[in-house]
Amino acid sequence: MRPAVPVLLLAAAPGAALAHAAEQGFVLLLPTRAWIASGVATVALTVLLVSLLPGRAARGLFAARDLGPGRPLPGRGMAALAGFLAVPALLAAGLLGPRDPGRNLLPLTVWTVFWVGFPVLHALAGDLWRHANPWRWPAAMLRRAGLRPCLRPPAGVLPALGLASFLAFAAVLLAHPAPTDPRRLAAMVAGYWAFHLAGALLCGPRWLRRAEGFALFLAACAALAPLAREGGRWRLGLPGWRLLVRPDPGPLAAVFPLAMLAVGSFDGFNETFTWVALLGLNPLEFPGRSFVVLPNLAGLLLSLPALLAVFALTLAAGLALAGRRGTGAAVRALAPALLPIALGYHVAHYLPSTLVEAQQVAAAVVEPLGLGHVHVTTGFFGTLATVRTIWLAQAGAVVAGHVLAVLLGHALALRHLGQPRAAALSQLPLAAFMVGYTLFGLWLLATPRGV
Amino acid sequence: MTLATTTRRGALKALGAGTAAAALPLWARYAGAQSAAPIRIGFQKHATGIGATYGRWYERVSQAAVKRINEAGGINGRPVELVTEDDGTDPKRGAEVVEKFALEHNCDIAFGTLFSHVVMGSAPRAGELKLPYFVVSEGHHVASGALNRWTLQPGITDVKSQVRAMAPWVAANLGKKVTMIFPDYAFGHDHRDNFSEAIAAAGGEIAGLIAIPPTETSFTRYFPQVPAETEVIYHVMVGPGVLTFVKEMGEFFGPSRPQVFGFIDSLEGVDLTSPGLEFLEGTYFWEGNPRYAQPDQTSHDKAYRAAVGVDDNGASVDDPRDVSTYAHMFGCWETLNVIRAGMEAAGYAGPEDRQKLVEAVEAMTEMPLSDDHPQGAKVFNGKTHQVFGPQYISKVEGGRLNVVHTASIEDGMYPDEVDYTTQPF
Repeated sequence: MRPAVPVLLLAAAPGAALAHAAEQGFVLLLPTRAWIASGVATVALTVLLVSLLPGRAARGLFAARDLGPGRPLPGRGMAALAGFLAVPALLAAGLLGPRDPGRNLLPLTVWTVFWVGFPVLHALAGDLWRHANPWRWPAAMLRRAGLRPCLRPPAGVLPALGLASFLAFAAVLLAHPAPTDPRRLAAMVAGYWAFHLAGALLCGPRWLRRAEGFALFLAACAALAPLAREGGRWRLGLPGWRLLVRPDPGPLAAVFPLAMLAVGSFDGFNETFTWVALLGLNPLEFPGRSFVVLPNLAGLLLSLPALLAVFALTLAAGLALAGRRGTGAAVRALAPALLPIALGYHVAHYLPSTLVEAQQVAAAVVEPLGLGHVHVTTGFFGTLATVRTIWLAQAGAVVAGHVLAVLLGHALALRHLGQPRAAALSQLPLAAFMVGYTLFGLWLLATPRGV
Repeated sequence: MTLATTTRRGALKALGAGTAAAALPLWARYAGAQSAAPIRIGFQKHATGIGATYGRWYERVSQAAVKRINEAGGINGRPVELVTEDDGTDPKRGAEVVEKFALEHNCDIAFGTLFSHVVMGSAPRAGELKLPYFVVSEGHHVASGALNRWTLQPGITDVKSQVRAMAPWVAANLGKKVTMIFPDYAFGHDHRDNFSEAIAAAGGEIAGLIAIPPTETSFTRYFPQVPAETEVIYHVMVGPGVLTFVKEMGEFFGPSRPQVFGFIDSLEGVDLTSPGLEFLEGTYFWEGNPRYAQPDQTSHDKAYRAAVGVDDNGASVDDPRDVSTYAHMFGCWETLNVIRAGMEAAGYAGPEDRQKLVEAVEAMTEMPLSDDHPQGAKVFNGKTHQVFGPQYISKVEGGRLNVVHTASIEDGMYPDEVDYTTQPF
């Protein structure tokens, strides 16, 4: 059923499983054209306002308020142990639990809690995965027992592995024929866990920060957390403020936000009538994921270089307008501005499926314990009023993400180029890109889907 | 052992089997059978993919039917267990699932598939594995002869029958000049061909045939093609564009529109009282089983709704907005009851009796209206492996569907296209 965003495309993705013809039927009855126009206009207006803003004011938007000195939160040891213990528990659920993916806690946890929920949680609460990931505890125990890292890979290898590991995860989401099958997923999770444990033992703790795709994904989301501890003090600011107090990322790390956006965009796009028809398939009788493994894999792998090329050309055009050079450095400086877009689309894309899957998670926890019955309803997809509310919430997430990205892009450009005039000029093509991407993101929500 | 079995069975009978059995603990209820091991029915569920909405309700109905069967003593004294596997609404995975049922899960039979392409993809593997495969798909592929001796559809009528049964009433009550609007691929073509033939036989005629490309989402430019003499528009649009289609049709024709007849498949799971659907008022739909409880509701429909957890509006008793796939899902309930009857007639004891089970079902003919068959009486055709039953035509009035006609079993009959019983096992 009918799975859909950076997170996954519902149709093709597990969430897609939940694609509901009635919901889409109602979406097509809604005045989405007018709403899309309003959303695009909102982002365009933000571009205009921010370009008129004095440099100091733009920087001031992202100034964080100092809340005083603070210690790290307690309980990190317990979190590491809990993260580790979750692995055998989830694998047992996958291997021994119900065969229905909507009732099995392994696929529900991996695709709904981890893939969909954790990025949002991290964007709100900071980098919890760093403390609670399932390798930290066993790696520490083995180190304590005397095992020492023995490999020091050349610079760039670990970030490359991290990117590859994230894309592998996305490939399962978008192109595997049965990403929610509990047993097959258990094998994949066990393999992923063993691979990264071996890496952490061979290369030390830095592996878990740089080469594990989920850590990079969640750390990128956590960079948007409004409340965080920086330099030993708790600070509160507009989401994205932390990006302005950090140095520019390295070249591969800078590609990561683009990879998130590319995965999310293709996740949405691969469900559309447009994509299905492009493959020569009838969207009204979609033949199943088995038939689109290679096209989806190709689409996913091509979407990243395509987006990177467009982004780099956009920045190069902006630099030319401002009479500056250095596209590579500009990509590194400005790629983080795409994070709010990726996250906003993630929320929008997965909202409908999450409304169903969250109930399935509740049922999978409550019912085996004999604590009662949870009726999993999809009734909210069957009336115009509820579908309207859901759609507007999705569109709101997309527009909010772009508005924040425009502000953040301006502040990052100011930091990168120094002069407000040069920054404003250099931002024009990027602003046009973001306005265009708003249109694309909202179109993805409104266009009919065949998967 | 045999003696003990006989004695205990006799005692149970003396007590009044059904009630007494239900009162006993599970182990004691089945202790009399030669084997108390459960009969395992592989349930091929559309848990993910485009069929997930149906899959959810098919499972609820199937679980309710199994619960009822078990409470009445199971099958041949053995409890029944559903073994659920997700086929992803994907033909390739469907075949894998059938294989898992036979080789890995030790299932006695496979059951439950709805989407036609999944049936088409799975049935050949079921035939190779000699696994009885009971589908609830309403596709014509079973009766057309495209499948095999091991694949049967005894719990739901096929589309060919449904379409043909509509023609006599449409011609007599809505009008004789019909324009068909249908999606331009196999599904729509089947409607076009079957209904064209049937309406001619009923004294009507086709005024126009309008094929819509499957990717179309706006339909206003097609309505001017509807010939002026059209008395009835027959539409079978599916997919996300269907609500737009009906709305634009309402806007185009206004109050002077022709009569409009469609298939409820387009609106399964949709609350008809939702704003935005006003344009459906006064139009007619085929229903496989009336979603709204009718004034002449049978005790069987009442019992079925209660068992499945569906209210008088066809929605879940847990959430009145969660509208069921009422027109189709009864097929799971009835199929499981056919399986029970077949296993009992065959004296089914295990996988070695699979052939006997198929032969027992092939020998079935009349299935009276009952708690086992709450949608209506049925006639099973053992040669074509297809069941025939009543069809309902309902009118949207005040946001609910009121049955205005029940087409007879005979209205949906057509000449046999295959005799599976001549094929070797």
